[in-house]
This record gives sequence, structure tokens and C-alpha cells, in this order.
Amino acid sequence: MKFYKPTSLPNLFEIVRKIEGKKYYLAGGTDINVQIKNGMIKNEPMIFINHLNELRGISAVDDDIIIGALSSFKDLLESDLIKQHLPYLQTSLHAFASPLLQTMATLAGNLANGSPTADVAPLLLVLDAKLKLLSKSKMRVVSISEFYTGYKQFDMKNNEIIGAIIISKKAEKDYKTFHKKIGSRNSLTIAKIGLAGLKKIEEGVIKEIKLSAGSLNEYARRLPKLESYLTGREINKINFAEVEKILQHEITPISDLRSDKGYRYQVTVNLLKDFLIN
Amino acid sequence: MKISFTLNKQEVTIDADPMKRLLDVLREDFDLLGAKEGCGEGECGACTVLLNGKPVTSCILNVVHAEGKEIETVEGISKTELGKLIIDCFDETNAVQCGFCFPGFFITSYHYLKTDGENDLDKIKEALAGNICRCTGYKKIFESVMLACQRKNGIEV
Repeated sequence: MKFYKPTSLPNLFEIVRKIEGKKYYLAGGTDINVQIKNGMIKNEPMIFINHLNELRGISAVDDDIIIGALSSFKDLLESDLIKQHLPYLQTSLHAFASPLLQTMATLAGNLANGSPTADVAPLLLVLDAKLKLLSKSKMRVVSISEFYTGYKQFDMKNNEIIGAIIISKKAEKDYKTFHKKIGSRNSLTIAKIGLAGLKKIEEGVIKEIKLSAGSLNEYARRLPKLESYLTGREINKINFAEVEKILQHEITPISDLRSDKGYRYQVTVNLLKDFLIN
Repeated sequence: MKISFTLNKQEVTIDADPMKRLLDVLREDFDLLGAKEGCGEGECGACTVLLNGKPVTSCILNVVHAEGKEIETVEGISKTELGKLIIDCFDETNAVQCGFCFPGFFITSYHYLKTDGENDLDKIKEALAGNICRCTGYKKIFESVMLACQRKNGIEV
């Protein structure tokens, strides 16, 4: 395995430019080392980035919170800025991994791994997070809902890396929030279902609603059809048979070693109902 | 690759494959056998060490992660006053059976007592959530940490 330790961000892009084919970036290593152990990564080039402090730090710039790609779950849990502006995101993170893993696991690593079960993806989707993608001479910003394009597929070029995650300070302000991770245990488990939601209700009417689902499609995604059906409806007049029908077109749960699709579908319906009514 | 870090308060330098697991470096290159390999996937916590004061699983950490950092293992911490207190408390409550998971629980408990230390069962459970014991059950382990919380006053942490 060829190993690279860039001296700086510009040096990183120099290294990346010279590598053809598949490569891995090593940040916290909580997933890559498991993949190495299980023989899923063999001889692909490995680029260490965990020491690149340009990619660290959580800051407030105008109306946005900018979270450096290498911020760990622990950094987010301990951040006063996140506590102040994004408390829903912060408290939801408690359900992810164990305290031991939270110290090393990074936010961008969770996204870039591309797993449909990535814990933070449903949360970042309803928060309308954006990703700052960096390459040697360019920077572009892509919405997280457009970032995932398929199973482990991204709108990201071979020479780009995730530099930061951007979330508006107002992303969860004045919303009623909902987050549910269903796994075999409360924590330290791979999600069978990951759901996140934000809603604004006025006089019993849904003024605005954002819903997202992880582990239920090839990649974590919003549920736009269901959102538009629900927007403007009176809560106690929601036709749940209709909701289920729409959901059947928006999620494609599968049966695998963790769960079967019937269970995944029914639990998703139950949880969404609960969020809509309460 | 040459990698330098502080190991139990001593500066060390090692010439190693940067991807070598920190757990293997500790056991093979420094003969520190306290950290154990359980699952090898970061789930059981038997390999826990402190990285810059925070508990992490050394089986999914590469030695390159340690560069310029401070690593503390059960061998170093057990010599501290707080470390000795924790060992006494685990001993008194008979919380250790086979002992394989103990170095991990010890490190995580030490970190909890040092950074928080409130005698609160729920908080202790959360702090120790990354460590798994397959012998005795957790009740006695939690009791040990609660006992240490009660006794730690007067000890320099």
C-alpha cells in the first residue's frame, strides 16, 4: 500500500493529481481500518489527511456555520457554536457511535464513505447543508441533496475533496424537530432506518415540512413528493392511506442481514405518522 | 516512516509502517501488553488508550495518527493516584472476572473521573458505552466507578 502524508493542502492536491485510479483518504480511520481488516481495501494508495489543520475548526461566518471537514463528532458535541445555533444537530449526534469512536470519526468521513446508512446524512439533508468542495485551483459549493447521485456515487470529481460543511444558522430555528435512528441497539450500531424531519405548524396546518430518510434507498435522500403532499394540509385531516401510497414510491427498503423490508417499511410509516401528529 | 510521540510521558520515536495499528506498535514495539485486541473493529473497547487525554480504540488507529500526540496506556495511568484508586474500587466490588476488558474500562473510567466525575449512573453508563464486558455484567463495573466518584475527593486529578 503506497502511503502519502501531504505537507499542506496545496501539496495534497499535487499528490492527488499524480494518482490515477482508486485512492483513499485517511482521516479518523474508524471505517477505513475496519475495511482494511476485512480485506476490502488491499493495495490502493492511502493519503493521510488527519493532520491538515486547514480542514479543521468550527466557525461562524455571517449567517452560516462552517464546519471543517475533519471535525470529529466529539468536536461537534463539544462546540458552543453548534450548541447555540444547531442544538438539534448536536443532540442527535449522541445516537451515533460510542464515545470512543466519536473522538476520531469525522463528519466528512461519514458522508464521503457514501454508505446509504451514513448517520449524519439524513440530518444534514433536512438542515439543507452545503458541501464546500476543494480542488487545486477551484472551490465550489454543492447542496447535500445533489451531492449523492447513487449507491456510493457523488457529484465530486477525482481531484476534489470535501473541505467543509456549511449549515445556515437559521437551518433549524423555529422548527419542530424529529430524529430517529433504528438499529439493533441504541447506539454503536448500523442504522436499519434513519429518519430526520423539521416542520412548522400554524393553527393546525403544516406550513413547511422537510423529511429525509437513510438506509431506505441507495443513498440517503429527502422525500420531496411526501413533503409537497403534506405542505398546507391540516394535521387532523391527513389521509394516512395516501401518505403510505406516496411513501411506497419514495423509499425502496431492502431485506438484508440487519432487517427485512416489510419491517423497515412499517416502522418508517409508524415513525412518520408519529412525527406528523405530535 | 519515523514517527515521534509521547508515550506515558516519555518522548519516543519509532521507525514503522505508518499504517501499522497503534495497538500493534504498543504491544510489539514497546512491549506494553495492557491494551488488548478484542474485536479489532473499534466496537469492544478492550484496546482503549488515551490520545491527547481522550479515550480512543487503538485497534482502528494507525501509528501515524499518534505523530506529535500524547499517548497514555494502562501501564502509565495505573501508577497515578487516581489510577490506583480506580483499581482499588474495581477490586473491592469484584467487578473484574477474566480481566480481558478491564484495561479498557479502566482507561475510560479514568477519563470520566478526570473530566467529569459526577456520581451519576446515567452519565457513567454513557461514558462507558464503548466498552464491552462478556463475563460479569455491568452492574458491578458501574458500582466500582460510582465508588471511585465518591472517594476521589482529595486526590489530585
